[in-house]
Amino acid sequence: VSTATATHRRERIRVAGVVRYVILSVVALPWVVLPLWLLLVNSFKTQGAASVPSLAWPAHLNILQNYAAVINQGAFFTGLANSALMAIPAIFFVLFFGSMAAWSYARSTSRTMKFAYYATSLSMILPAAIIPTVYILINLELNGTRIGYVLTIIGTRLGVVIFLSTGFIATLPASLEEAALIDGASKWQVYWHVILPMLRPVLFTAAILLVISVWNDFFYALFLLPGQSQATLPLNLYRFATTSTTGVAWNLVFADVVLTGLPLLIVYLVLQKRVLGGLTEGSVTG
Amino acid sequence: MSSRTTGRPPALAERVPSHKTPAHETPAHEVPAHEVPSLTVPEQRTTEIQLHGRRTPQRRPGKSRRNLYRLWFAIPSIILVGVFFGAPFVANIAFAFLQWTSYSTTITWAGLSNFVDAYRLGFLVHPIIITVLFAIMSMLMQNIAGLGFAKALQTGGRTDRFFRSLFFVPVLFSPLAAGYIWAAALQPHGAVNTFVSAVIPGFSFDWLGNPATALIAVALVDGWKWSGLATMVYVAGLNRIPSTVIQAAKLDGAGAWQRFWQVELPLLIPSLTFNLVVTLVGSFSAIDVVFAMTNGGPGNATTVLNAQLYLQYSGGLFGSASALGLVITILVVITAVPLIGWLRRREVEM
Repeated sequence: VSTATATHRRERIRVAGVVRYVILSVVALPWVVLPLWLLLVNSFKTQGAASVPSLAWPAHLNILQNYAAVINQGAFFTGLANSALMAIPAIFFVLFFGSMAAWSYARSTSRTMKFAYYATSLSMILPAAIIPTVYILINLELNGTRIGYVLTIIGTRLGVVIFLSTGFIATLPASLEEAALIDGASKWQVYWHVILPMLRPVLFTAAILLVISVWNDFFYALFLLPGQSQATLPLNLYRFATTSTTGVAWNLVFADVVLTGLPLLIVYLVLQKRVLGGLTEGSVTG
Repeated sequence: MSSRTTGRPPALAERVPSHKTPAHETPAHEVPAHEVPSLTVPEQRTTEIQLHGRRTPQRRPGKSRRNLYRLWFAIPSIILVGVFFGAPFVANIAFAFLQWTSYSTTITWAGLSNFVDAYRLGFLVHPIIITVLFAIMSMLMQNIAGLGFAKALQTGGRTDRFFRSLFFVPVLFSPLAAGYIWAAALQPHGAVNTFVSAVIPGFSFDWLGNPATALIAVALVDGWKWSGLATMVYVAGLNRIPSTVIQAAKLDGAGAWQRFWQVELPLLIPSLTFNLVVTLVGSFSAIDVVFAMTNGGPGNATTVLNAQLYLQYSGGLFGSASALGLVITILVVITAVPLIGWLRRREVEM
C-alpha cells in the first residue's frame, strides 16, 4: 500500500511540474517569444509586406536586401565600431578607477574621503545635468568627440562600482592587506594582488549592469555625439529609423534592431548562467 | 588621507596625544560602526595593532604620509566624478536661471523667467504630470511583474532557470529596440489588435494615436523592458530569506498566501525599497522608449520632461532646457530621500 501511495505522490508532483511549465510558457509567449518573433519575421519581409507588421511568415523572403540596407545605408559597422571603441574602454576604466577608489573609501576614516564617497554614491541616483555637461565639454574642446563621450560615461557611472565595491571591502578585515604591507608589498601590489582578486565577484556584477546600460546608452549619445561618424549603435538605429521619408520601413527598422541587439544577445547566450548568478548572488541590494 | 593633509585643524579625536594612541592607522574610537561587521573583528584589530606597533614607531607625520596613498588611489575617480557629474550638477542649478540662447552672444541673469515662460507656454506643468504618471506606471509594471516572476521562479530548478533567462532577454535590448517592437505590435492593424479581435471580432484601436492609451503603452513598454532586472533583484532578496524562517511558518500552519504576505514580504523590504526607488527614479529620466514609440505624441501626450528638454536644447534655448533639467532633479530628490534612508540603514548593517 505504501509503495502505491508513494508512486501516486510522485505522479502528482510530476503532473504539477508539467502544469507549472505550461502556465509559465503561456506567460512567456506574449511576454518574450512573440515580440521576438514579430521582430525577426518582419525583418525578413519586403517593405510592403511589413507595412502592417504581422506575425505571419513572409510570402516572399527579403532577408539579404534588408540586412544589406542596414549594413550599407544604416552604417551598421561604423556604429558597431564606435560602440565597441567607446563602451569597452569606458566600462574598463569605470571598473579600474572605481575599484581603486573603493579601497581608499572603505579603509579611510577621513571626513574628506567620506564626503567624496557619499557624493559619488549620490551620482547613482541623481539625474545627469546634460546641458552643463555639454557646456563643460565645449570648454574642454571635447564636445562631439569620442573621448569626451567616454569621459562623461566614466564620470557618471563610477558611482555604481564605487558603491558596491566600497560596501564589500568594508565587510572584509584589513588583516590581509596589512600582512601584505608588512611583507614589503607596495600599495599598488596590495591593490593588484589582494584587493582586486577579492573584489572579482562584485566587479562582475557591476560589469553586467554597466554593459547593459552603457552599450544601450541613447541619452548621452544623443546630446554628446551629434556627428554621424561618431554615432553609436543605438544612436545609429534611431537616426536610421527616423530618417525614412515614406512612413516607417518596419522591415529595415527591425533588421537594424536585430543586428544592434545581436552582440549582447550572443554574449548573454554564452554567459547566461554566470550573468544571472552574478545578479542573484552578487550584492546588488542589501 | 587624514584631515592634516587638507590643511584643516585635526578633528578632536585625532588630537589625542600620540603616545596614547595605539600605533594603528584607525584608533578604536575612530572606527565608524559600519567598519565593524562582527564582534570578532575588533579583536583581530588588536593583534594587528601590536604587530604594527612593533615595527613602525608611532609619529603623527608618519601617519598622514602613510595614508596619502589613499588620495592617489581615489584621485582619478574624484576628478572624473567631479568634472562630469558634480560640476554639471551644481552648474545646472545656476544655468536654470540664465537667459541663455544660441540666438544671442550675451548670457544674462534671468531670475525665474525660464520657469515662468515654461509655465505660460504650457511646457512646465504638463510634462511634469506626464513624467510622474509615466514613472509611476513604469515602476508599478516593473515591480509587479518582477515580484511575480521572482515568486513564480523562486526555487531555482531547471524550469525556473530556463524561464529566468528567458524573462531577462528584454533587459538586454536597448529601450529604443523595445519601443520599436511594441510600436509595431500596437499599430491599428498590428499583432495586439489581431489577438483582441479574436475575442472581439472586428476590433481595431489606434493605441498610440490616443493620448491616454499612448502614455499607458509607452510607460508599460518601459516597464516591460526593465522588469527582468527587477526580477533578479527580487530573486536575490528571496534567496536571502533563511529557509528555517519559512519552515517555521509552515509548521505554524501558515498557507502559501499567508507566508508570502506575513513572512516573505516584510523580509523583502530592503529589495522592495531598492527596486521601487531605483525604478521610479530611473523612469523620471526616460527618453528612449518615448522617442521610439511616439516621439512625444500624439500632440504632446507623451512628452516627458527629458523629451521637452531635448526640444528646448535643439531649439537653442539652453537656459530653458537647464530649467527643465532642474525640475527633473527636484523630482528625483523628492523621491530619492527614502533611498538615502535605506542606504544609511544598510551602512549600519555592514
